[in-house]
Amino acid sequence: MRVGLEAFVMLATALFAVGLFGALSKRSAIMVLMSLELMANAVNILLVAASRYVTPATMDGWFFAVFSLVVSAAEIGLGLSLVLALYRKVRTAELDRLDTLKG
Amino acid sequence: MMLAAIPLLPAAAFAVLAPMSRALRNSAKTVSLVAMTGSLVLALVAFAEVWSARGGEGTHAVFHAFLPIAPGHAFGFGLLLDPVSAVMLLVVTIVGLCVQVYSLGYMHTDERVGWYYAVLSLFSAAMLAVVLADNFLELYMAWEIMGLCSYLLIGFWHTEEGPRKASIKAFLTTRVGDVGFGLALAAMFALTGSFAFDVVLPASAGWAPGAATLVALLLLFAAMGKSAQFPLHVWLPDAMAGPTPASALIHAATMVAAGVYLVARALPVFVASGVALTVTLAIGIVTALLGGTLALVQHDIKKVLAYSTISQLGYMFVALGTASEVAALYHLVTHAFFKSLLFLGAGVIIHATHTQDMREMGGLRRKMPVTTAVFTVGALALAGVFPLSGFFSKDEILASLLRGGHYWFFAGALLAALLTAFYVTRLWVRVFWGTGSDHAHEGHRVMLAPMAVLAAITAVIGFASVAFAGFLGHEGEWPEVGLAAASTLTALGGIGAAWWVYSLGGVDTEALKARLKVPYDVLVQKYYMDALYEAAFVKPYEAAARALAAFDLGVIDGAVNGVATLWVRATQVSRNFDVNVIDGAVNGAADAVVEAGGKLRRLQTGRVQSYQRLIVGGLVLLLAWVMVLWPLLKAALKGA
Repeated sequence: MRVGLEAFVMLATALFAVGLFGALSKRSAIMVLMSLELMANAVNILLVAASRYVTPATMDGWFFAVFSLVVSAAEIGLGLSLVLALYRKVRTAELDRLDTLKG
Repeated sequence: MMLAAIPLLPAAAFAVLAPMSRALRNSAKTVSLVAMTGSLVLALVAFAEVWSARGGEGTHAVFHAFLPIAPGHAFGFGLLLDPVSAVMLLVVTIVGLCVQVYSLGYMHTDERVGWYYAVLSLFSAAMLAVVLADNFLELYMAWEIMGLCSYLLIGFWHTEEGPRKASIKAFLTTRVGDVGFGLALAAMFALTGSFAFDVVLPASAGWAPGAATLVALLLLFAAMGKSAQFPLHVWLPDAMAGPTPASALIHAATMVAAGVYLVARALPVFVASGVALTVTLAIGIVTALLGGTLALVQHDIKKVLAYSTISQLGYMFVALGTASEVAALYHLVTHAFFKSLLFLGAGVIIHATHTQDMREMGGLRRKMPVTTAVFTVGALALAGVFPLSGFFSKDEILASLLRGGHYWFFAGALLAALLTAFYVTRLWVRVFWGTGSDHAHEGHRVMLAPMAVLAAITAVIGFASVAFAGFLGHEGEWPEVGLAAASTLTALGGIGAAWWVYSLGGVDTEALKARLKVPYDVLVQKYYMDALYEAAFVKPYEAAARALAAFDLGVIDGAVNGVATLWVRATQVSRNFDVNVIDGAVNGAADAVVEAGGKLRRLQTGRVQSYQRLIVGGLVLLLAWVMVLWPLLKAALKGA
């Protein structure tokens, strides 16, 4: 059985949906970061799959995926350090308690 | 310029003292006295100048021809120094200085002595300006300032009812006469186009008799107000409410004599008229007799002297009525000295006995020998006893009556002289003879010294009568023996009768009063003239004032208040519009914004995830629009 592009799109969409749900509903900042990572990787899967099925000759998607991975790594590092700094300051990492900007 | 300094020195004293009469309370007397002494010295110099240039022209200094009064006419402030004004200058400055020195003692305890000296200085300045004026308008101005000073000094103790009312009465009564002065000015300006003595007086000979009579009678009316002649005499007795030295200066010696001076100055107009002379004569004799009779029944020492002043001023008018200005002015001069002396004496007596009622006095000759001596000199001069000044001046008036052939008036004048001798003796006996005031004490030297000076002048000035007439450019003569005998007998008769009645008890005065009840009441009621004026003028005036006040309150104030009420209503309407409509719109808009802000702020939770949800929700809606709804809509529109 040959796996088609549709399967990858379905997978990426599911992964993105799970990540979106986690990012919107998790209390812990760590969990939100992890969910963001899921969403980013859903995109990566879509890029790689699109590269493999739509433009097999040039493989442009690969480059984007590699870029994306690097940026994600940097982003997650930055995010974690922010969470750490925030924790030191307010002794919590729960996002719904951080409402200083409430109007 | 030296001449101008005579009135300007006291005027300057007033200018300095008036604004700070309280601050300069202690130095006021010095300022005033220095100014007055300066005036006296300058007046002496001026007199000497005129004396040495006898027969020559008087000095006539015109300062500035300014104040244009009509097209082609300018009013010049000028000063005229001729024998008449030189004599008057001396009288005013000598009596004025004596009174100011006397006031050092009389007024030293008074709170407002600074103001007193200020007004006294202003008065002196005004009176000196009156006698130096070279035209009628200038004289009128100074005349009115004198009236103001008189008002201020009569009402000097203005916290008391009596002086306040007396000052208003004096001011208004003299103002009635002053209306005549104003009309006379208008008439003479219409006739000659000038106010100057040296234009109006020579021209008057050429006027129609009616015109001359009009001007003369109007001037006479002014003089009657100022000099307290019948029927405008009613203010002078009440004016005695003022301080006694002020009474001596203003209401005996100088201001009240200004009317005599005015008529004497304007005598050519009276001569041109002829009728006016007779009127003057009649007014004079009526006043002389009226004053003399009223003085008989007064108990207030100052009022006796006030009625005496009225009577003596009447005497001067009699002299003017015979066109004898020398006799009038000479009596003015002698009267100024002896009457101010009597008033100053009365002041000392009032100080010593603390009363003005002669019935509470008596026997003062033992306690106050100096006052008694100088007062006696004044009293004998007033009675017309040789060799004191009153004898000579009264004699000249009687002689002028005989010369003019006015025998009935001569008889009246003799009767007035008899009355004068009688009431002055009555006063003297009541005050100095008998017993009564045992606790009295002699006055202070500063008060006695000016009186001594005045007494000395009174004693000797009679012998200057011929020189006086010559100085004024007339032929003077000594009294005739027969006339002198008649007047002396009259005076002695009056004195003797009063002595017999009041000292020896020759007549029971109470029984006499009871027997002659009607005439006595008439005299006590001052011939009912005050009552008449009260009924004829004061009451109707008050009624008119009340009616006008009611009109004011009802109609005028009503209209004004009505307009104000309408205005208040209108502003209330306008205010309601402002508050409800304009403010309503503004506040409504603001409230709406606040309301909306309150609602919207709930969106701003401050939580990251709620924003994320909004973003995602918005994204979903946007995608739904772009990918589903919009294509459907487009298809539907196309299909239609």
